[in-house]
Amino acid sequence: MALRIVPAAGHPAYTEAAIGAPSAPGVHDTLRANLSLTTPAPKAAGANAHATTASFHPLESRLSQWRAQQESLKMEMLRRQFGVAEPVKRQMELSIVRAGEWQPACLTGGFGGSAPGSGNLHADILSGRDCEIGWEDVFTGEEMRDQVDFHVEMETRFGMNW
Amino acid sequence: MPGFDFSNHNRNLALHAKGVPLPKATSTGTTIVGCLYDGGVVIAADTRATSGPIVADKNCEKLHYISPQIWCAGAGTAADTEFTTALISSNLELHALSTGRKPRVVTVMTMLKQHLFRYQGHIGAYLVVAGCDPTGAHLFTVHAHGSTDKLPYVTMGSGSLAAMSVFETQWKRDMTRDEAVKLCADAIQAGIFNDLGSGSNVDVCVITPEKTQLMRNYITPNVREKKMRDYKFQRGTTAWLDERVVKREEVRKYVVVEEVEGAVDRAVGERMEVDQ
Repeated sequence: MALRIVPAAGHPAYTEAAIGAPSAPGVHDTLRANLSLTTPAPKAAGANAHATTASFHPLESRLSQWRAQQESLKMEMLRRQFGVAEPVKRQMELSIVRAGEWQPACLTGGFGGSAPGSGNLHADILSGRDCEIGWEDVFTGEEMRDQVDFHVEMETRFGMNW
Repeated sequence: MPGFDFSNHNRNLALHAKGVPLPKATSTGTTIVGCLYDGGVVIAADTRATSGPIVADKNCEKLHYISPQIWCAGAGTAADTEFTTALISSNLELHALSTGRKPRVVTVMTMLKQHLFRYQGHIGAYLVVAGCDPTGAHLFTVHAHGSTDKLPYVTMGSGSLAAMSVFETQWKRDMTRDEAVKLCADAIQAGIFNDLGSGSNVDVCVITPEKTQLMRNYITPNVREKKMRDYKFQRGTTAWLDERVVKREEVRKYVVVEEVEGAVDRAVGERMEVDQ
């Protein structure tokens, strides 16, 4: 596993040879793939592990993968230094904390604190961003979403919507 | 997606492909300088904000607060410098509260360069970071792509060449406070007069381990001249033929009160016109 610091570029570095028409290999089959030559065909067997983003702006895929990339780099370095037990332990602690803490949505909460601004202090501490604030914490991308009432949320959580 | 929104990027590309011109990038002219001296550090900036060929603000403030002993001069996109320094200021305060120590200038520099590197220069903030911390007085420059410099005297912005020529000829080691302030002000004035993107006044900030002194409009070499002629008309220039003064008490005399018909015909004026 490579020690990448920055995420790989969002655009594909190669194209799948299998995208071509079966009867004429190497010829782009628009019906099977799609109109765009740059985006991989939808059936390209998971060759592209990147998160698919809506735009082709070079910055977007970089930003969306940034934190995951930093996290995986940290875990890989911990694995090399202390053995596999260390990253496993940390991941377990993090998942326990994320599963255990819940805050109502009306208090900018949510379930599982990986999302920024979710108010999961324990997960923030374990992932080392408890004294850090960024654009993502202010502009959560959910400003336009309807605010869920606390009672509605609790009723949904406990299956009380008869 | 939280943070920056790229949802219009594809639309803009499609519009551009159809021949709609993309908005031109505006070069924001600025001169900012910084200089270390014996016992502190001085930073200075001009006060002109340009948007293309237009002077948007004649007396804007380009010296940004980071912490009481650390200040930042910003060139580049005005909004980006403003918000990046505000964000780093907040992060630094959180960091200082977490560690329980006074923040250091290298911490600010590292935070800034890591933040700007992540955005690959799309955040156009070119900064001069200066401050005093327990390890002494420090001066850094941070470019928008995340590269940094550490030098005894620095200049940035479109007027950096004019300002640097002043530093290169007049800078010497172990200056006093007054010499450093004068040198920085001279460098900014070189930018003001020789660079079209810079202008107006000189702001200076002197940071010592004890205190920070922000001298807003330290030099105002471009005070607006009084117009040679006055184009206001004197009172009484226009002649009048008749004069009648109506006092407020007498206004009632000119009001005619008409009684409205009964309730049935109240809306008579709004009744639809029908051909007879």
